[in-house]
Amino acid sequence: MAEVVLKDVVKSYGSIYAVNHVSLKVEDGEFVALVGPSGCGKTTTLNLVAGLIPLTRGEIWIGDREVSGLDPKDRDIAMVFQNYALYPNKSVYKNLAFPLQMRRLGRAEIDSKVQAAAKVLDITHLLERKPRELSGGQQQRVALGRALVRDPRAFLMDEPLSNLDAKLRVQMRSEIKRFHQDMKATVIYVTHDQLEAVTMADKMAVMNGGFLQQYDSPANVFANPVNMFVASFIGSPAMSLIPLEAGSDGGTTVLRSPEGWSFALDGRNAAKVAKAKGKRVVLGARHSTVRLLPNAEPGTVPGKVYTVEPTGDVTFAQVFVSGALVNVSLPPTYAIRPDETVNVLFDQARMHLFDGETEMALTA
Amino acid sequence: MSTAQGQAIFRDVPASPPKKPHIGQRAWQARADYLYVAPAILVMLIVIAYPIYYTIELSFFNTPANLQLSQKQWTGLSNYTAILSSPVFWKVTWQTLVWTVLSTFFAFVLGLGAALSLHREFVGRAFLRGLLLVPWVVSAVAASYVWKWLYHSDFGAISAMLTAAGLIDKPINFVDNTQTSLYALIVVNIWKEFSFAMIMLMAGLQTVPEQLLRAAQVDGASPWQRFWHVTFPHLSGVSTVTVLLLVVQNFNSFIIPFIMTGGGPVGSTQIWITHIYELAFLRQRWGLGAAYAVLLFLIMMTLGYFYVRALTRGDESRAG
Repeated sequence: MAEVVLKDVVKSYGSIYAVNHVSLKVEDGEFVALVGPSGCGKTTTLNLVAGLIPLTRGEIWIGDREVSGLDPKDRDIAMVFQNYALYPNKSVYKNLAFPLQMRRLGRAEIDSKVQAAAKVLDITHLLERKPRELSGGQQQRVALGRALVRDPRAFLMDEPLSNLDAKLRVQMRSEIKRFHQDMKATVIYVTHDQLEAVTMADKMAVMNGGFLQQYDSPANVFANPVNMFVASFIGSPAMSLIPLEAGSDGGTTVLRSPEGWSFALDGRNAAKVAKAKGKRVVLGARHSTVRLLPNAEPGTVPGKVYTVEPTGDVTFAQVFVSGALVNVSLPPTYAIRPDETVNVLFDQARMHLFDGETEMALTA
Repeated sequence: MSTAQGQAIFRDVPASPPKKPHIGQRAWQARADYLYVAPAILVMLIVIAYPIYYTIELSFFNTPANLQLSQKQWTGLSNYTAILSSPVFWKVTWQTLVWTVLSTFFAFVLGLGAALSLHREFVGRAFLRGLLLVPWVVSAVAASYVWKWLYHSDFGAISAMLTAAGLIDKPINFVDNTQTSLYALIVVNIWKEFSFAMIMLMAGLQTVPEQLLRAAQVDGASPWQRFWHVTFPHLSGVSTVTVLLLVVQNFNSFIIPFIMTGGGPVGSTQIWITHIYELAFLRQRWGLGAAYAVLLFLIMMTLGYFYVRALTRGDESRAG
């Protein structure tokens, strides 16, 4: 296995930038998820690493070798595709043997490698079958096997789980994670599902509009999103964003709603707000940091319940605060009804503040 | 309600689905449906079923040219025995096979080559695609006359060009020569129908999954290996259908040989359909022609069976 390094990588189609000056380093043996909404450039980035499409500018290194201009076959990478891309006319055995045949290995060597890969993935009993005779999960394993069989320096996976049903997806998710741990493989994994990225990856690269937004561990991305896009993309339910206005009330910094109410910020948050370019500030709050209080108290703001969604061990409520929908998680016993007026309290220690002009996170 | 009662209710549920009513019963229940399709069936009986029946009937009769068709004479199977024992039959059959196999093979290969070349994006692709469609679009009769003149031994453009280029001393007799006439006509036929194969295969190429080609590329396959391991297997369904349609079309060819040579010289370009035409409509031997037509019908039905099977097998593999 080897590290993969992208240096200032650009892919443009005319004046449209699919990948815009992306630089990142995947350490040897690391599992990195490229995550973002559709059209964000994550698959294009993966195809650039694979060499399936030519770079416009920048460099790509795999291990100690620059591979920017090389053919996919000379990059020594393996790829797993969304719909598995198994050769339909070949048996499972021949699918696994194909990359080895293309490298002109001897018959005995091919056989021992295919058998070894089949054993790892527990598909030995399927070797004589055709892909169409396999279930989705089995096809997925064969696709992994074909990637594994020739011992590549990095695995590239393009939404490998999105064709599976929900139950199988959870199972294969842990299988791929286990596979990564056992193989100590360098994996670049593209997904639009932030939950997959958070649960599987050592690091996640959040992309939007061709730009790399943030590249960090899932915990850090979750705790310290750099901008409003990352904040709203990572986490489920999404972080609530409430546009407000900074002001001062007798010397203390407050956030004021167009609805008329305001609440005072503590010292650390006041320092953050002081760095905003204009007066517009966006308050970000995750569902677990918002509380509903029975009575109006200092710091609470008025809200109106929109929907209530019991899920069993937790009930999610959506509450209108200053025109924005705020997600709140509540104990299942909490009595609450739609259209009820409530008092909302934001946890000052765990709230996020963003500059309304630049959409970037404000830091103290 | 107690559990025991609940189980009693389950036992009442029939173990097997109810029996289907008898076919006559079902037909009677759907009698209105039959009424709706009756006019169409009537028309088909008149224009399809009756001619087939009449041809089969005629094939058992002798129809001397000096008598009316209504005065036909029953001869049993003698038309068939006459055909199968005649050397002309075997000559015509051999020529039909040569015509069909060579035309189909080269039309398919050329069509595949054209489809593959046109599959890639390049300047002038749309124009070239349109140009290559011309042979298929142009009227077969017009094309036959044009080729007849191109091949002409005295005024033909092909001989003229070859002479001007210094490749030959005197004009070649393409069509008026028993050795070359059939092949000269096959060239015209290939030119006429390779565009059809091209269209079919171009449509097929567009359904080759991009991810499979990419997977093969990552696996280290060269462009030729990608074609051989991914593209070509994917085209097997459409290729089968194309080849079968070409075979049927070529077995039934009439216009090109009829107009360019009329089966001559000395029967060297006679194929089944032109031969049947000559027997029935020029020599007035309706019975013999009908017997020929019945034999051809049986061959075509066999091919048709494989055609339908190829089509439905494609459906099954897609569904599965």
